[in-house]
Amino acid sequence: MLNAERRLQLVIDSIHDSAIFMLDPAGRIETWNRGAELIKGYKRHEILGKKIHAFYTPEERASGRPEQLLDEARVKGRVEDEGWRVRKDGTRFWADTTVTAVCEMDGELIGFVRVTRDLTERRQTEEQRLQEEQRFRTLVESARDYAIFMLDTGGRVATWNEGARRSKQYTADEIIGQHFSRFYLDEEVRAGKCDCELDVALREGRFEDEGWRIRKDGSRFWANVVIAPLWDRTGTLIGFSKITRDLTERRAAELDRVQLARAQEALRLRDEFLSIASHELRTPLVALQLQIDSLRSQSVNLQPKQVSKLDRASRNVQRLADLIKTVLDVSRIARGRLTLSPKRIDLGALVGEVIDRLHEPAHEAGCIVAADLAPGIEGMWDPLRLGQVVSNLLSNAFKYAAGSRVDVTLSRDGDDAVLCVQDRGPGIAAEHLEKIFERFERATAAKNLGGMGLGLYVARQIVIAHRGAIRARNREHGGASLEVRLPIRDTCPLPATKDEP
Amino acid sequence: MTAMHRVLVVDDDTEIRETMIEVLEEAGYKAVGASNGAQALAQLRAPEDGWCVVLLDLMMPVMDGRMFRAEQLQDPELSPIPVVIVSAMSDVDEAAEELQVAAHVTKPVPLRDLVQIVDRFCPRAA
Repeated sequence: MLNAERRLQLVIDSIHDSAIFMLDPAGRIETWNRGAELIKGYKRHEILGKKIHAFYTPEERASGRPEQLLDEARVKGRVEDEGWRVRKDGTRFWADTTVTAVCEMDGELIGFVRVTRDLTERRQTEEQRLQEEQRFRTLVESARDYAIFMLDTGGRVATWNEGARRSKQYTADEIIGQHFSRFYLDEEVRAGKCDCELDVALREGRFEDEGWRIRKDGSRFWANVVIAPLWDRTGTLIGFSKITRDLTERRAAELDRVQLARAQEALRLRDEFLSIASHELRTPLVALQLQIDSLRSQSVNLQPKQVSKLDRASRNVQRLADLIKTVLDVSRIARGRLTLSPKRIDLGALVGEVIDRLHEPAHEAGCIVAADLAPGIEGMWDPLRLGQVVSNLLSNAFKYAAGSRVDVTLSRDGDDAVLCVQDRGPGIAAEHLEKIFERFERATAAKNLGGMGLGLYVARQIVIAHRGAIRARNREHGGASLEVRLPIRDTCPLPATKDEP
Repeated sequence: MTAMHRVLVVDDDTEIRETMIEVLEEAGYKAVGASNGAQALAQLRAPEDGWCVVLLDLMMPVMDGRMFRAEQLQDPELSPIPVVIVSAMSDVDEAAEELQVAAHVTKPVPLRDLVQIVDRFCPRAA
């Protein structure tokens, strides 16, 4: 049977994770346990009778910390201290030390008990946790595109970040402690939406929603909201996390996309309608023209007045046919279906033919066409389409400069063929110089349908399809000048967009 | 007039078809109508007489002008008969090239042009 003292000694020795030893009233070490050996690195015989100064850092020794602790223990009975301690090999460790004064029954101090625990590992873990927490907090606080904040169990705002400040406009001071219902529309609050959201989050672990939310200034924004319950380690509800993303811009972009698609579809339908309508409108003209021509051909049986009436009718059928053709062209251009059939042609000859063909309208408009066409300008161009360009430019001059002289010149300028149609009419208002090539719906008035705008729009599209350019100017001494530049090509590199069957 | 000199007018629009037949007859040709490609083939294959030209519309129901032309070229009896495309489609010259026809005109076509073209292939009766 061991005596009590021996038994106590064995118990203390068996404790390996704490240094437990006694000091005499003067602070000299009297006992040394196994834990002290392991933690501080000194053997019993090395340390007994020594003072505790060796366990302290030089700075603490210099400041008298070891003595101070003993003095405090003497007064208070017990002191606790946390700090760096030094092992025998000079390495440091973070320790928690308690010093307890030990007294006889009559109060006489017989020494101290020092218990030191090595907390280095715990301290490191703790520091790491703090660092992680700090990093995470910084991350959340600095997130600008997401409002991330906590609600307490009652739905009151508990934390606030930069993203929340930006999207909802409240500062942390203004909003912390307020119920989150103030972010919702009144009618939704009345309908119990907020409580319902927290209930769902609790029941299902997560609640997600998209809808209108209210900023501080009362304006609305379209938000994506995720609410999740937060539990502590013991499973007690401590609140909710709420992440709100402002999707107003994305929603607006989506709406824009939908509207754009609708507008494009409407345009497509319109162009399709124009295409079908112009074809259908042209069909009866075929029979009409043939019938009028047929009547006109029997002129031997007709009065002169009847002949002139039939001529007028025939001209107007042709006019209508031309108008319909222009509308069809516009719809084809709009659908990107302007096709070119390039052939090797002499441009001067082509322009000359068109001038000849328009002899009658020129005469009616009182215009004299003076042509100066350079010979031998040959290239790969679509003769029908370019004929249309020349015809549109001339018709335009006849219409707006009736009674004036119209000069048509064709020349070569480096690798370009340059066609110029100049009249001596009133010219074009400066603000319309570019506009006249635009499509009718962009022009100022619908009256442009039959004249400028549409014809010149088609002309420009054809020129562009030939990789050329067209521009309008005013002549110095009055009148308009329209210039077409076409690259002269020997080969056939033109990008002819193929028609669908 | 010999049996070889008839014009076949192929067009699904009755007004156009009948008007063309009428004005061609007035101009001294013998003309017959068909309202689609299938009818036209049947007419051409009818044993009685021959044809000097086919005036062919492109957009027609049942059998359109392109299909007609393909079938016609397959048939050695019919393939020599010249075809003229008469169409309102604005890319008619492209189609003409593709279908290897003798000529093409765009609707609406003035009577003078129509007669000029037919005259290249058919002698007049009068």
